[in-house]
Parts: sequence; structure tokens; C-alpha cells
Amino acid sequence: MNDQVTKLQELGRLMQERGPEMIFALIILIAGLFLTKLAIKALKTLLAKVTKNTATVSIIANSVGILMLGIVIVAAAMEIGAKPGPLIALIMIVVLAAIGVIVVFRPLIPTLPFTAGNTVKIGDLLGKVEATTILNTRIRTFDGKTFFVPNRQILDGVVINYHFTKTRRVKVDVTIRYDQDLLKAKQLIEAVMTEDARILTKPAPQVYVLELGLNGVKLGGRCWVNNAKYWVTKCELQEKTKLRFDAESIKFAYPQMNVYHRTDLETNHSQENGPDAF
Amino acid sequence: MKLAEGLKRIAEGWIIKPKGYRVRFQQLVEGELVTEYSPGLEDKPLDSDVTTWRYAWKLAKATQPGSGILSPGELVNVTVVDDQDTMVNYYATGKLEILNPENK
Repeated sequence: MNDQVTKLQELGRLMQERGPEMIFALIILIAGLFLTKLAIKALKTLLAKVTKNTATVSIIANSVGILMLGIVIVAAAMEIGAKPGPLIALIMIVVLAAIGVIVVFRPLIPTLPFTAGNTVKIGDLLGKVEATTILNTRIRTFDGKTFFVPNRQILDGVVINYHFTKTRRVKVDVTIRYDQDLLKAKQLIEAVMTEDARILTKPAPQVYVLELGLNGVKLGGRCWVNNAKYWVTKCELQEKTKLRFDAESIKFAYPQMNVYHRTDLETNHSQENGPDAF
Repeated sequence: MKLAEGLKRIAEGWIIKPKGYRVRFQQLVEGELVTEYSPGLEDKPLDSDVTTWRYAWKLAKATQPGSGILSPGELVNVTVVDDQDTMVNYYATGKLEILNPENK
């Protein structure tokens, strides 16, 4: 009990002697941290305009951030009476060690294969990355749901990042009946793809006969489009193909089965063998 | 003829790929029929003919002239054109189409 009272008395005495300096040091610390955060953000924005390498941007910004943090801590410590010489030496060692760790070990640290704003597919989950934290990633699906996916699950699983490639292939598959004009159908699909403003000219759109199936001839149109326009373009190409086929009287195939009732066999058989044969 | 040259001729002469689409229409301005575009010529055109035709159809429906004399705000000869101001076939029929034609 006496110890606690003594400690409180010491604290009171300390506050009387160095109170203003301690408050001022705290203000320096808070303001310094705030300014450091702002400076890192501004530096990242500036560097992002200079280079597209996000890893380099991150390393430089974090290094500058640690350096500024060290200066802020030294300034605050000096305010409450710490001697600058050994303190600066200690802080510099820590700062340099931290920068060294960042530069050397960063490539070895597992990183998520996307950044905020990317459209990704993680397992069965397709959506846009809204934010990442140390523990999880927030993904918003296109039907408006928000999912929090553990980063461990992401690092262990297969991830498709649609931002890594700028273009994507669109498939327009249709099946026509065997009695339809195959060449005309191919021309129509190719024309539908070629005349679309969004379809890239290289590689050029192509149409293939994919399969001579049970129900009809399967044709496959293949063309390339910019990633961002993939889904709408795919839907509209299918719509245009259907309508163009209708306009040109090309009939689509559908699952069917022809059943033949062979009455002639039955008649001949019964005539040859007599009624007892059945 | 080299293959590359042949492909170039096909690209130039078979199907001309438009760079974009606009809705072209006419309306009365100070008693005269004036041709206008949406999006305007100074704006970026739409990249989808399906979207542009849908837009044209809605625009035509919303501004359909009543019977008789054309009134301000009513749009006639509504159609879709490409970036070269050439009429674009309606994708559903493969034929040219004009909505709200002036001479019914």
C-alpha cells in the first residue's frame, strides 16, 4: 500500500516538474504519427504516377515512413529530456534494421495475388476486391453480397485475377440442325463478331465446326475482347447471333429422337412364319 | 499477294468495323428540321450497337410525334449511325431501320 502511495507521489512530483514537457512530447508524437501517415499516402500516390511497380512503391513509401517515425520518436523523447546522442544512435539502428528487413524479406513474404479494385474468382466466389486486411479479404459479389474470405484460404487455394490480362476470349457456341446451311451459319457468326466495335481485330474472330453431335452440328465462334467489356459483349453477341439466325431462317438444333414404327417388317414376318410365330 | 496484304484487304473491304455508335434524329428548331446526335459528335460514342438501338427505340417512343404537325420536342427519323455517320443495320433484322419516320 505504501509502495503504491509512494509511486503516486512520485508521479505527481514528476507531473509537477515535467508535466508541460510530457504533454508537449505527446502532442509531438500524435501529430508526428498523423503527418507520417499523410506523407506515406501522398508519397504512394506520387510514386504510383512514376512507376507501375507496386512492390517498389510500397518499399520506398514504407522505408520513408519508418524513417519519419524514428525522427518523431527522437523529437518526442528529446522534449522530455532524453539525451539526443545515444537515443538517435539507437533509433537509427532500429530504423535501418527495419528497412533492411523490408527490402530483403519482402519478396519472401506471401502476398495476396490481387489488390483492392481487382475482379477475382476465389473458389466459387466471383466479385470485386474491396479491401484487404492482415486476416481477411473483403469481396463484393456482383449480386451485392459482401464476403469476408480468410487470407489463409486464399493463399492455399486457386485464385483467378481478371486484371492480370487485359483481354479475354469470348465463346459463341451454337448448334444447328443437320439440314441447315452450314457455311451460311458460319458466315453469320463471323459477321456478328467482326462487325461488333468491341471485338478486337487481332486475333481475328474465327468460327469452327466443333462437333457433329447427336442433335446437330455444333459451331463455335471465338473472338477476343477487353476484359472489362467481356460479360456484356458475350451476352450481346449471343443475342445478335440468335436474332440474325432467325432473320436468315437458320434453324437451331434441339435434343430430339426419331422413332420409326416398322410395320412392313411385322407384316412380312407374320406372313412368312404364320400367326404362331408370335 | 502476300497473306498479310490479303488480310488487310479483307479488313478494309469486307466488314467495316465501326469505332462507335450514335443515335441520329431530327427535330424542329425554329421551324426547321435539324439533325442532331446523341451522344453528341463532340462526345465519345457508345461501343455497343445493341445498347444504342435500345436507346434509340426508347428515345423514339418517348418523343413519338402525335398525329398532324410536328411539335417541338418530338423526334423523327430516329436511327443509329456509326462514327462515320453511316446508317447501321438493325442487328435483329440485318436491315436499315428508321424509327418515327417523318413521312408516315
